[in-house]
Amino acid sequence: MRRALIAAACLGVLAPARAEEGISTSPTPRLNVIRKAADFELLDTHRERLRLSSLRGRVVLLSFIFTTCSSACPIVSSRIAGLRQDLKSRGLVPDKVQLLSVTVDPLRDDPQALAGYAEGFQDDASWRFLREEPARLAPVLASYGEWVRPAEGTLDHPARVYLIDGRGRVREIYSLEFFSRAQALIDIATLLAEKG
Amino acid sequence: MLIEHRSLPWIHRFAHISGLALLTAAAIAAPAAGETCLSPYIKGLRQPEKVLYLWSLPAEAGKGRDALLVIDTNIASSTYGRVIRRVEVGSAGNEAHHMGYTDDRRRIWAASLNSNRFFIFDVSDPMQPKLARTLDDVVKTTGMTGPHTPYAIPGRMLVSMASGKDGTGPGGLAEFTDDGEFVASYPTPDHTYEQVIKPEFNKMLTSSWMSQKMFMTPMSKWDPSDFSDTIQVWDFKARKITQQLKGDKVMLAVRWALKPGANYGFSISNGGNSIWRFQMQPDGQFTLTKAADLPGCAPGDLRQSPDDKFVYVSCIAGAQIQAWDISDPEHIKLHDTIQGVVQPNMMHVTYDGKRLYFTNSTLTSVDFSRRYQLTLIQIGPDGRMKQDPNFGIDFSKLAGGGIRPHDMLLN
Repeated sequence: MRRALIAAACLGVLAPARAEEGISTSPTPRLNVIRKAADFELLDTHRERLRLSSLRGRVVLLSFIFTTCSSACPIVSSRIAGLRQDLKSRGLVPDKVQLLSVTVDPLRDDPQALAGYAEGFQDDASWRFLREEPARLAPVLASYGEWVRPAEGTLDHPARVYLIDGRGRVREIYSLEFFSRAQALIDIATLLAEKG
Repeated sequence: MLIEHRSLPWIHRFAHISGLALLTAAAIAAPAAGETCLSPYIKGLRQPEKVLYLWSLPAEAGKGRDALLVIDTNIASSTYGRVIRRVEVGSAGNEAHHMGYTDDRRRIWAASLNSNRFFIFDVSDPMQPKLARTLDDVVKTTGMTGPHTPYAIPGRMLVSMASGKDGTGPGGLAEFTDDGEFVASYPTPDHTYEQVIKPEFNKMLTSSWMSQKMFMTPMSKWDPSDFSDTIQVWDFKARKITQQLKGDKVMLAVRWALKPGANYGFSISNGGNSIWRFQMQPDGQFTLTKAADLPGCAPGDLRQSPDDKFVYVSCIAGAQIQAWDISDPEHIKLHDTIQGVVQPNMMHVTYDGKRLYFTNSTLTSVDFSRRYQLTLIQIGPDGRMKQDPNFGIDFSKLAGGGIRPHDMLLN
């Protein structure tokens, strides 16, 4: 824990008690090994294949979104955009941290639509937006507990973001509604400070 | 919409998305009607309930299997107010007690106080719950006994455990994945009863009651020296206790006020016959003070209205349901009472604050009446309560055998 604190301090991520989104942070998060992160191979907006396990050694923040979402997804995407700025300013992306967003709506989020959405967030190597054809995507979504159902003209799906360590293990699961950019930065610093 | 988006420069689109995010964030932060007394990570029900799930045990202890009952609460249905399904768990003597949804509302975790089991029900089809998994090795994995309240955190369940591995001594919290894989245990210095989290403050409170060995002993033989009287304050992310608050004997339900930024809430002491108010100070430290005495009540449950105007107290010994006006949290007032209800215990308030269901079995070791029922109270705009004559189930007459009704969830 002390090592994590020192690392967080060195990276300048010890946020004030109340973070910018009005969510308090903890400087000493306990990041249990929750489970092995299910591996997958998906296509990014440049039609390049990305395999999760190829990112070993990097911390991965994995979110599930859909581009026509008007509730929680835009909030979390804008917070992740802010987080990316924090990580960039510390030189942590893309070499040490990788941001990934996977669509849960591959029919409407065709390659063009997802690329347009990604462009809105200035996608680059640090943040890759992923999709696949529905039959290939379904088992990936299922392996992260992501189900999708129509609801009031939009889609309903579990509002979660996964933090995966350099060894491919899920170490935190965030709620979209309470996702804190400042806490995520502390958590990432904590994982980066771990040895092995 | 997509074409419109693509015609904009990215910066405008980002601003549009960010603006939308701000509006949506404001909508999320605004007080709104919603189911109360659930984990804030759960998708709250925001429409009239169609079914009520009831976690129950046989009326005759050990005779018959514990079961999740599905009760029709759709007023337009021909089977309104009836048990329409009974999902048995394949074992007896579990002491079915509390249950909780996972954060996505797809599963219900039902805890068994006596046998230290968890029953995980798949409710992805709300009308057709299925028993998906039973965890039998909870003592071995957690090192604790007496599982009480399953509480959702993202992708996981946090369960309060009353005592150590032999049913005595302090308990704690145990964390599992939604599908039942053990993650970690967190010991407490008391007999943990229930946990509540306020994510925006990164604070968790845990209340405390008594050990498993004690609550499974007939009440006449309870030893008050086993009773806990504390509420622990936690740094939730660190899963670390930061402060201990002293209340009175057997601190049961704890409820945070729901308004965004509300830094206070209430709890009840069963052994001390009282309501307590906790408050977080600007430095993050908490105070716990008695808010009201409840003479002769033996409070069993504490529930809240979605607008932070009322809390409801069930008086197991006092045969009452009480509504307390908490509009001024420092000066709470008894607002209304329903009299003459036999050993009321668990309650559940609907998303709109207009209905309150209650059951009347506490524990096999505590129940003194066998008139086991599910009852509905209608709550008027003025906060006055009235028992609904058109809804009610007498569980002594249930086909397949009488049951003791305890915790409820709506869907």
